[in-house]
Amino acid sequence: MLLIENINKSYGKRQVLQNLNLQINFGEIYGLLGPNGAGKTTTINIICNLLKADSGNIKINNQPVSEKTKSIIGVAPQENLLYQGLSCKENLDFFAQIYGLRRKVRQLQVDNCLAAVNLLDRANSTVETLSGGMKRRLNIAVALVHQPKLVILDEPTTGLDIEARYEIWELIRKLRHQGITILLTTHLLDEAERLCQKIGILKNGQIVAEGTLPELQKLIPAKEIVTVQTAEEEKAIARAIELGFIHRHYGNELAFWLPESLELKEIIAAFDGISLASISRQPIKLEHIYLEVTKQGTGD
Amino acid sequence: MKYWRETLAVAQRILIELFRRRRSLIFWSVFPIALLLLNGFIFAERAQQSMAFAFENATPTTLAFENAAPTTLVGAALFFSCLGGTVTTVVAEREQQTLKRLFISPLSGTSYFLGIFVAHCCIGVGQSFLVYAIASFWKAKFQGSLLLGAIIILLSIISYVGVGFVLGTQLARRADDINALVATFGVPLLILGGAFIPSFIFPQFLLNLATFDPIYHMTEALLGVSANGNGLTEISFHFWFLFGFAILMIGAGWLSYRRMLRVERRL
Ligand SMILES: Nc1ncnc2c1ncn2[C@@H]1O[C@H](COP(=O)(O)OP(=O)(O)OP(=O)(O)O)[C@@H](O)[C@H]1O
Ligand SMILES: [Mg+2]
Repeated sequence: MLLIENINKSYGKRQVLQNLNLQINFGEIYGLLGPNGAGKTTTINIICNLLKADSGNIKINNQPVSEKTKSIIGVAPQENLLYQGLSCKENLDFFAQIYGLRRKVRQLQVDNCLAAVNLLDRANSTVETLSGGMKRRLNIAVALVHQPKLVILDEPTTGLDIEARYEIWELIRKLRHQGITILLTTHLLDEAERLCQKIGILKNGQIVAEGTLPELQKLIPAKEIVTVQTAEEEKAIARAIELGFIHRHYGNELAFWLPESLELKEIIAAFDGISLASISRQPIKLEHIYLEVTKQGTGD
Repeated sequence: MKYWRETLAVAQRILIELFRRRRSLIFWSVFPIALLLLNGFIFAERAQQSMAFAFENATPTTLAFENAAPTTLVGAALFFSCLGGTVTTVVAEREQQTLKRLFISPLSGTSYFLGIFVAHCCIGVGQSFLVYAIASFWKAKFQGSLLLGAIIILLSIISYVGVGFVLGTQLARRADDINALVATFGVPLLILGGAFIPSFIFPQFLLNLATFDPIYHMTEALLGVSANGNGLTEISFHFWFLFGFAILMIGAGWLSYRRMLRVERRL
């Protein structure tokens, strides 16, 4: 559906994308993750033909990116870009017209989209009078109104409460079932974990890790992760090194990678003689992988 | 077909927003009415005194309103609705950043410009009817060719929208900037253009200066056709100046749109 090959892009002397490669297959939800300034928005700009890459190829649906491919793509930008003085319906209708939908199809699509984002009862309210969550949903609806094949959602749930988030996740899954391919950028790793079939982690303009969640989990040579709270960190680390556990600091938590799954009592026994305030075990999550691949090269 | 549809969509959107906000709509009708009445009665007073306008079956008031209507319309009313309105539209679009959404869409710059033009044309035409309807209460008539008058009004609207487009895309970044721009450049140009004070009482050096003011040519051309029944030959200088200016403004509008695309076209 989307194929990006060896894209380079510089702003003046600063190279923002370096030999970026990315492939999104038809019907999948691809999560593009990366720290601030990694180049996510720049990549989206290039896909939408707003910026030209310095070199490399991009194909959408087997066509090189051009003004024509614009109507295959629907974008819900990072900010809500809506006409404040128009109602939900009028906003959708306007964009549907811009994308060339005929009247009959347009009316149908506007209603479909309003229903899809649960705004039918607010169809005639002006945007100014909507809550933040409603605006966010309308922002997504506008991206869908012309029935695009590829939908790009730039941080769709930022600033929403958990219920609104669930609604948007549900909507994204529904879109996938309708055969729409989705490129999702997010800073919420939990969100990516829930929704995406494939995840790419971008850093300094390069994909540093890519794959399904199980594939990415292989990047961490451990079965599970144990986090401890202790006043005797150095002792705990020394013990871990003796036992062959790799240790990491996640924020101010001390964590160990267990190469084998152990019983709880075995774990406690391993730290015998060190006073632990708490101990918890968890599976390897996207968060750990993300931290691992994005810190490389900068040192811990 | 594509352009036409897009143009209509843009125009319709601007008009819906305008009718919903109502405030500017009321301003744009109150303003020309007030100005027409003021200008009309001031002219009428002068006409009575000088008796210079003593024609057979026209009263001084009728003549005064026949003179006030075209200058009020093309000089003052269209200035604020079409130029001011265009700047507001473009700046609001940049402030709300909806412009970015348009960049993502297949909307062409031409349709966008045309859409803004069509929307303001509707307002301008509305104002024209309003002004002439009120002037007709004093039996003022449109003396010359209606077609020529319509063309002059249209060229004026094109010029104003073009200038508004350039200002909105290049100079004004926020809504506050609009007032400053209008006060600094707009009002002096309007006065020099004869929108408030008839140009026949201008000293010669101001008249010379006025030939560089497009508004002067708009008012003179329409005044000639509307009040004096002139044909194209009598107003040819003003007409062709206006024509040239309108073409120039289309070009300038197009260039400034290109420039804005280069600078702002990204999410
Ligand atoms: N117009 C520009 N001129 C110069 N540099 C730019 C421009 N736009 C972006 N950059 C730089 O390009 C890099 C990538 O920016 P980009 O916006 O793509 O990051 P991002 O991954 O979207 O970050 P975020 O998560 O903060 O949205 C940054 O270092 C940024 O400073
Ligand atoms: Mg970004």
